[in-house]
Amino acid sequence: MAARGKIKKTFTDPIGKNNPVFAQILGICSTLAVTNKLENTVIMSLGVIFTTTLSGVTISALRKFIPSRVRMMAETLIIASFVIIVDITLRAYMPDVWKQLGPYVGLIITNCIIMGRAEAFALNNSAGLSLIDGLSSGIGYAYVLIVIAFFRELLGTGELWGITILGDWWTNWAIMVMPPGAFFMLAIFVWVVKGVIIKEEEETAK
Amino acid sequence: MKQERMFSTRVYPVLFMVALTVVFISVVSGIYLTTKDRVLLNESIFQKKAVLYAAGIEFPEDDSPKIQQIYEERVTEVDGDGDQPDYFRIELPSGQTGYAVYVRGAGLWGEIVSIFGFNPDLSTFTGVEFVEQNETPGLGARITEQWYKEQFRGKSGPFELVEEGTSDAPGELDAITGASRTSEAVLKIANKAAEVAKAKVEEGDE
Repeated sequence: MAARGKIKKTFTDPIGKNNPVFAQILGICSTLAVTNKLENTVIMSLGVIFTTTLSGVTISALRKFIPSRVRMMAETLIIASFVIIVDITLRAYMPDVWKQLGPYVGLIITNCIIMGRAEAFALNNSAGLSLIDGLSSGIGYAYVLIVIAFFRELLGTGELWGITILGDWWTNWAIMVMPPGAFFMLAIFVWVVKGVIIKEEEETAK
Repeated sequence: MKQERMFSTRVYPVLFMVALTVVFISVVSGIYLTTKDRVLLNESIFQKKAVLYAAGIEFPEDDSPKIQQIYEERVTEVDGDGDQPDYFRIELPSGQTGYAVYVRGAGLWGEIVSIFGFNPDLSTFTGVEFVEQNETPGLGARITEQWYKEQFRGKSGPFELVEEGTSDAPGELDAITGASRTSEAVLKIANKAAEVAKAKVEEGDE
């Protein structure tokens, strides 16, 4: 039963109180950069989930063979390969989205969440657990971005997924789609989650 | 003993990295090669759609063979020395011979590359398509939206900017609210487009 408990904890931790974005403040560069359109955010999130999951599994499966001196090189190589696969696939099958995301797909390589999970988790745990950890870290990243993108696109352009939601009466908040809007939204998000939801949990725990 | 340590600290890491690199590069190259044709096709269809759109010729959005066919019937590429055609000679829907040229200019964040379509007089636009731009998503990047591009049809320069949604004279262009710098950049490009077209077409016809 202990094993089952561990699996569950591995899955829920990155989604909840140990979330990579709002608890560990990792992967902020892409959180700020791609969240002004919901569609781009979803595609970016799928790319990150794919990469965290597969790189976690691969690094974990190879962990007994990777010499510790060159482990970072090996991790980077593995992560970069998966990211290039995402990039090539988007380019071939979703060229319009690829054009909009531009360099940010390639920058998944430098997303700290992926390297962080590889170092902190995949090197010390079995491939199965690393798969769950990678998947849930990706999901933990994705839903935060999607929430932020939802508000930024809606308030900034009056649209969601390119479809007009708010009518003519709505004045677009131009700042929402510009970089400062991302900082405001992320800060508000972290504030709400840490100040309201997690604080309550801590209080009941005491 | 000493030899064993030499192997595990010096030789093995190198061999490991070489093997890992070979495996991953092979996989990535394999995927690249299998999607290469598709990527090239995407790029060529993208350019063809841009030329047809600028010329005001209708085409089905997602039907590549049909786009290819319409393009071949209507458009002649007049060769430049680079990899892009110098200009395009086009049979317009009216039956007259029109032209299209690439026009480049500085945007707010990076270069804007556009294709302008012209009537036989080489001063009235049949339309425009922006093929490369790095303007702010949600603000300047709205130059790629239908309502913005459609306003160019049938207009001729020199232009001046008017408030968003109010242009009606042939010399007026809608600006984009919240994106003055991008609007001015496009104004500059639109104002020089006719000159660029005349220079290229005259050179080609000699």
